[in-house]
Amino acid sequence: MTRRDFSERDIHMALDGELPGEERMAYDAWLEANPEMKAKSARYIADRAALRAALAGVMNEPVPARLRHAVLGEAPARTPAWRSRWWLSAAAAAVLMVGGFGGYLAGIDGIGRSGESDDQLAEQAISAHLIYAAEKRHAVEVPASDKDHLQTWLSNRVGLKLVAPDLAAEGFALVGGRLLPAGERGKAAMLLYEDAKGERISLFVTAESSQTTKGTYTAEADGPEAVYWLDKGYGCAVVGTLPPERLSEVAKSAYGQLLAGISS
Amino acid sequence: MDDKKAAILSEIPRLRRYARSLLRDRDSADDLVQDCLERALVRLDNWQTGESPRRWLFTIMHHLFIDQMRKVNRRGEAAMLPLEAGEAQAAPADQVESIASREIMDALQAIGPDRRAALVMVAIEGFSYAEAANILGVPAGTLMSRIARGREELRGLLDDSSRRRSIRIVER
Repeated sequence: MTRRDFSERDIHMALDGELPGEERMAYDAWLEANPEMKAKSARYIADRAALRAALAGVMNEPVPARLRHAVLGEAPARTPAWRSRWWLSAAAAAVLMVGGFGGYLAGIDGIGRSGESDDQLAEQAISAHLIYAAEKRHAVEVPASDKDHLQTWLSNRVGLKLVAPDLAAEGFALVGGRLLPAGERGKAAMLLYEDAKGERISLFVTAESSQTTKGTYTAEADGPEAVYWLDKGYGCAVVGTLPPERLSEVAKSAYGQLLAGISS
Repeated sequence: MDDKKAAILSEIPRLRRYARSLLRDRDSADDLVQDCLERALVRLDNWQTGESPRRWLFTIMHHLFIDQMRKVNRRGEAAMLPLEAGEAQAAPADQVESIASREIMDALQAIGPDRRAALVMVAIEGFSYAEAANILGVPAGTLMSRIARGREELRGLLDDSSRRRSIRIVER
C-alpha cells in the first residue's frame, strides 16, 4: 500500500474520481483518522448531491423547439420560447405529450393502435400528397396569395371552420390548397406547404370521422409518413417525408392551430 | 437528418443543464445554448467525426459564457446576489424547486464564474480533470485549484446563509 501524506486536496480528488485506485485504502484510513477532514468530505458529498438534485430536472425537460430548430437550421433565429410553446395549452387536452408521439400513444388507454378504417384517412392523405406535392405548376387549385378565399371556400365545402395554420416558425410557407374526395361521400381539404429547400408537406382535413384515434402511418418504407388525428366530427393528417422528429414537431403545431380554428 | 446534427441534438439536454448551472435563469440559459448551437453549426468542420460532439460543444459554450461574463464585468454592472431564499430570483412558474435546491443554486451563482464552471464541469457533468482542463483551456493545476476553491466557497456561502438568513454581496 502506498504510504503518503494526504491533504484536503485529496478530498477533492477522491470526490471527483481522480484519486489513483491504489491510494484509495490509505486515503480512507487517513479520513477515518481525521474526523475534521471526514466531516469536510461528507459536507462536500452532500453539497454535490444537492447540486445534482437541483439540476436533475433539466435533463428531463422537453427540448425547446427553438434549440431544435437552431440545429436543424430551418427556423428564424430567436423565436421566443413562448411562441413555440403557446399551442401546448391550446391543444393540451387533445394531443399533448412529453417526449413524442410514441410516448403519447403508449400512455393512452382504451384507444387502440390504428385499425383499418382510421388508416384510410392516412392512406388517402398519403395518396394525395404523392400526387399533388410532386406537381410543380398544378399542385394547388387556389394559391396562398388568395388565402382568404381558400379558407372560406374549403370551410364551406368540407363543413369545418378551416384556418390554414401558420407554420413559419417551423420553416414552412403555405403554397395553397385544393378540394379532394374523402371516404365514401365526403370531402377533404388539402393544404400544401413548402420550406426554403422546396421540401413539401401537406395537411389533409376532413369532417368525415366518427372515431377518436391518432397515430402515424407509412404506406411503404421510404415513402411519406402521415401523422393523423381523428376526433368526433373531424380528421386531420399531416404528410411528408421529413425526419420523424421534425414531422411530429410540424404536425403538433399544425394540429394545435387547426383545432383552435375549428373550435373558434 | 444527418448524423452530425442528430449527435448534436442529443447533447442538448446536457448543454441546457450546464447552461442552467452557469446562468440559473431558464431563458438566459437557453439563449446561451442557442448561441452555442448556432456557432457550432457554422463550424461543423471543426468537429472530428467519429467522436462524441460533447467536448467540442462544451468548449464552444464555455467560451461564449466567459466572453459574456467579461462583457458584463467591463460594463461594471453590479452583481446583486440575494442569498435569502425569499429574496431569491423567482423561479419560473413551471420549475418547482425545493428550498434546498433554491439555496444551493443561489449559492452556486454567487461563486466566481471560473470556479463555478470548473466545479460544475467535473461534479455535475462528469468530465475528468484532464477533459475539463482541456475544455476550459487551463492547466490541470489551475482547474484543480478552481474546483477546490469553488467547493469551499460554495460551502461557506451555504454556512453563511443558514447562519444569517439575509446577506447581500454587492460586487462593483
